[in-house]
Amino acid sequence: MAKMNEEKTWKCGKCNEELKKKKTLFEYMGHKFSHEVPTCPKCGKVFISKELAEGRMAEVEEQLEDK
Amino acid sequence: MKMEEATRFTSRCINGEPASCSFACPFHLDMRSFLEKAGKGRWAAAYKELKKSVVFPVIVSTLCDQPCRERCQRTLTGDEPIAIRDIEAAVVRYAKSRKPEAYFIPPKTQTVAVVGAGLAGLSCALGLAEKKYQVTVFEAREGWGGCLREHSEFEKFDEDIKLQFSAVSVEFKFGKEIKSLDELDGFDAIYIATGQDGSSFGLSDSWDSEMLITSNPKVFMGGGLCGASPMEAIAQGNELSKTIETFLQTGNVIKSPGGYDKSYCGRYLDHEDARSVPLVKATGADGYSEQEAKQEAQRCLKCDCEKCMRSCEMLALFRKKPHRMAIEVFTDSQSGSLSSRTMTRETYSCNICGYCKSICPESVDLGELLRFSRTARMNAGTHPAALHDFWLREMDFSTGEGEFRIVPDNSEYVFFPGCQLGASNPEHVYGAYNYLREKYNAGIYTSCCGAPAYWAGDEKRMNGNVERIKREWSEMGEPVFVFACATCESIFSIFMPEIKRISLYELLAKDESIVPAEAFSSASVFDPCAARGDENMMEGVRTLAQRGGIQLEELKEKNRCCGYGGHMRIANPKLYDQITENRSRAGDKPYIVYCANCREVFASREKECRHILDLVFGLETGLDIPSLEEKRKNSLNIKKTLLKELTGVDFVPEAHEWDSLKLEIPRDVQKEMDERLISESDLKETIWMAEKNEDRFYNETEDVYTASMVKPVLTYWVKYKKKAPEVFEILEAYYHRMHFIEE
Repeated sequence: MAKMNEEKTWKCGKCNEELKKKKTLFEYMGHKFSHEVPTCPKCGKVFISKELAEGRMAEVEEQLEDK
Repeated sequence: MKMEEATRFTSRCINGEPASCSFACPFHLDMRSFLEKAGKGRWAAAYKELKKSVVFPVIVSTLCDQPCRERCQRTLTGDEPIAIRDIEAAVVRYAKSRKPEAYFIPPKTQTVAVVGAGLAGLSCALGLAEKKYQVTVFEAREGWGGCLREHSEFEKFDEDIKLQFSAVSVEFKFGKEIKSLDELDGFDAIYIATGQDGSSFGLSDSWDSEMLITSNPKVFMGGGLCGASPMEAIAQGNELSKTIETFLQTGNVIKSPGGYDKSYCGRYLDHEDARSVPLVKATGADGYSEQEAKQEAQRCLKCDCEKCMRSCEMLALFRKKPHRMAIEVFTDSQSGSLSSRTMTRETYSCNICGYCKSICPESVDLGELLRFSRTARMNAGTHPAALHDFWLREMDFSTGEGEFRIVPDNSEYVFFPGCQLGASNPEHVYGAYNYLREKYNAGIYTSCCGAPAYWAGDEKRMNGNVERIKREWSEMGEPVFVFACATCESIFSIFMPEIKRISLYELLAKDESIVPAEAFSSASVFDPCAARGDENMMEGVRTLAQRGGIQLEELKEKNRCCGYGGHMRIANPKLYDQITENRSRAGDKPYIVYCANCREVFASREKECRHILDLVFGLETGLDIPSLEEKRKNSLNIKKTLLKELTGVDFVPEAHEWDSLKLEIPRDVQKEMDERLISESDLKETIWMAEKNEDRFYNETEDVYTASMVKPVLTYWVKYKKKAPEVFEILEAYYHRMHFIEE
């Protein structure tokens, strides 16, 4: 299945801007790392899809908890 | 944390300790390992194992009187004990190479004199020579073997001794009788092993039977001279070679670690699943064939206690042995950010239900070890907060807005329903309280016992709650608390033993006028884990059910956790599913439960079940489970209703700006929310904030929105559609635990 293009699908409700992928800093259990996620180019608001939250992010969260 | 703080939980665990037969064996041969190898026909490896312990395999496999057989647990299946000596003889026969190993270690300069070339002297001399000490053996007779020299099979024994000494260098002085120890002045250590009726050189009075030492610090004494049997003499000589080595290295005599307590010979396991397998008889005149020896060795039950690991799904999943778990709990507590922890998932996957303790022959409680680990991590701030966040917030609600008490003067009893009973079904609280009030003039106090803090390892919250409840209890005039929840009652028994307790079911059972509905013709009572040991509570429920005409069939295992205990669901959803599924299938009959959590677990698995209070109060309930939002509402409604009815006070629940929003949640989304413990009010708050500030994402094509709300532990997300002003259809609800740092 083709991955939905979130940048094209979603707009920032405040700025009415199309989202752009941007390296974003994440923090969990004392570890910091960066990942590219759709972000509003104007206000910087980050968009996390269900697929990402319950997929890769949940995996990394579990790994970091176990670390 | 100190290592002992963790290992004290498992110090009594007998997993990994030698089997009863090994404790009985003079050589403490590792039977499990030896017979495992023999059972696979690995003769050379089995021989090596045998030789390591018994020193002279041919002598021992011919002469040992096999005290191990008296302690062989094979007899528990009604069979004869393992024919160990015949297997040993087969191992000697079939091992292709029996050549002793040569040890490439530098020669030592210290000298040892061994007086006597009997079995005791020989095994000690061999042990020291293998370590390259300069050993001289003095023997009055013209050869070695001591008492065995007169044996009809001496030729065979002689070969064995020759073989074992073939790789070491020892000076034998035969025909040389030592008359006085002065003759051995130049030696650094002396072992007197002159055999039965031999000379002790006047040292017998000062002989220490445990350490084999004498009043002369460098003189040791043992073997037949001191009453040892031939087998004991070999074992003693071998052990003593290690003691003498330590003496030569340090000048001290230290008992070697890992002593063998003979009383452990009687520590038998229950071998519930073991089948009878008869003794293998040798068909040939020369003893076992290879096949027969293998078969006989395979009869060994490899006795080692793994009861907890076989019975508990969590322990079976991680396959970590109790001693190792304790050590890893300690090492985890020492981990810095660079080194990995190894016990996180185990620590938070435990139901803390005490089942392992209840089946352990030594009552080792691994749940307590893991709760200790949770507490240590909470105190150190290294706990994954997301795993218990939901329940701790629920506890804050139950001890905050959800709490109330109505206690008439001079009430002897106060009903403590716990947080879940009323949340799950308010009728249970109304029914029980009306009964208690009418019959006993009882009061009611709804709050939380502290189980969420107890399971999360949150000592601070726990202690604060305990102090608060004690204060309330004192203000109420120290009444007896009536419990409907076994967990509450068990928490009170641990933390507030001064508060007198009685179970609701015991009180109801006493009243013959209560005849519960005959909901089933036959059923099984599913006792919650927390009721273990509370015979009155367990009996009360059975009395009630039977009075209602229900035939009871006992479950095979009692007081197993339904899956809810320990709040492990978020930490290990798959294991949670497995446990809840197993419990649902533990009995064919419908269940009668008396824990709100058990009921919800079984209802979620569509297992036919009823709460005993349904039957007592004639309530018709199906398998519906209220949502998280409904549960909170139920709790607040009980408070509102009872306060109004009994005190005339109007209770107005805390209002939020988002309360007026209406959410339409499809069944599948609701199910996911319940599984992930996302409540409707979390979503309402998220949507309300997003709508107010236009702070959300918009998908023009589908006309849907996505908004998020960052809370201290979780970040909630909701995808929704606007149906009307203040009405929203929920399409997705999810969260993540990590935080992003917006720039």
